[in-house]
Amino acid sequence: MNQAEVTKLISQLKISPPTRLRKFRTPRGPEGRLDTLRKTVTALVKHERLELNRARALEARMYTERLISDAIRYGDCHKTTMEMADYWLIEKQLVHKLFKVLVPRFENYNIACTRIFYVPRNMTDPRYSKAVLELRGNPYPSLVRDTSSNKNLIHNILLEEAKKAYRTKKYAEIAAKIDAVESTVGLENPTTTESDGNK
Amino acid sequence: MSLSSLIYRLTGTLRTVERAFLLVLNGKYPPDNFRLCLDQLQPQENWNNSQINSHKGILEQILGDGFLFAVPKHRRTIEKRLKRKYGDPEYHMKILLPNKKLQVCNVCGDDHEPKTLCPTCYKKVIEETRAMQDAIQNELKLEPVEQEVVVMYEGEKDSKPEEFWKGKRIVEMEKPRPQWFSDNLLQKTTQKGAETSDVKPSNLG
Repeated sequence: MNQAEVTKLISQLKISPPTRLRKFRTPRGPEGRLDTLRKTVTALVKHERLELNRARALEARMYTERLISDAIRYGDCHKTTMEMADYWLIEKQLVHKLFKVLVPRFENYNIACTRIFYVPRNMTDPRYSKAVLELRGNPYPSLVRDTSSNKNLIHNILLEEAKKAYRTKKYAEIAAKIDAVESTVGLENPTTTESDGNK
Repeated sequence: MSLSSLIYRLTGTLRTVERAFLLVLNGKYPPDNFRLCLDQLQPQENWNNSQINSHKGILEQILGDGFLFAVPKHRRTIEKRLKRKYGDPEYHMKILLPNKKLQVCNVCGDDHEPKTLCPTCYKKVIEETRAMQDAIQNELKLEPVEQEVVVMYEGEKDSKPEEFWKGKRIVEMEKPRPQWFSDNLLQKTTQKGAETSDVKPSNLG
């Protein structure tokens, strides 16, 4: 078997691609479909976060993942990769961004470099379902809430227990101190305390 | 060919022959079947009704100058009527139904459908994102992008030394940082340990 393993010839994506590509309504056929997707991929690399129709977002995500993974795998001295970058990125200043910014950013990622969220439907016109497609590590505020303050995380449970233990210890100390003060006061002049109580 | 169709054909032929004869004799077409029937009724009408209606047909007498609408021939079943009115629960309901698949956002308490973002939080974030994108594009223009972009809000650039921003492209927003957008995102998760050996939580006892 002197044959290369076919599955290793192209870089494996960290997302699961669908079995069949989506069709978009363009009068120019498959070529027009790729043209519209080129615009989306270029805009994603440029702006790093986009709101799109759901099908367009899911489709553009695959091409972006493939482009970035190829750039990481082969680098900027590889002819085919450079041609693909030239094809997919309409604005050529982004070719620099792909190799100089995105490749160092995603080199050590074990997860996909894009992320997709579904946008709530507009209830006045609920026909269109939208999605937000973003590159990870972007400078924008996060779309999902911060879950690090989750009380069920193990370190938060341990910290809570430590706080409780510290409190009980502290209360015991305070109680002992009060007892000590009361006993000394009672020994010195018991009559005054009784008279105070009567008042 | 059945007997009934044979009779039907025969009567049809007879009627044509009769018409042809009448055309020859009178010099004009005979009245149609309805008229034939009415002609028989005419003597009675002449006795009973007024002279004006005497030359009109019975349908014209009833309707006058009006006309007939098309009307349903068959009764619609109750099932079909109800489905027309309210729709079908298996396919499409026409009446408004409450949406029971809703979640409550843990941050702002707004309702949203599962697997989607909270609408209020999302609106807040995406507006800020668009403002930041505009600011970034105004700064970068069409030059080749070679550095990571860091977005700073008003008065934040001076808070850190110059070396901290080395190798990063700084874009400044002309407004203070929103309260909900934490500044800590820029800090490292692993920080240098504190110098004091024993630190207890404060304000506890």
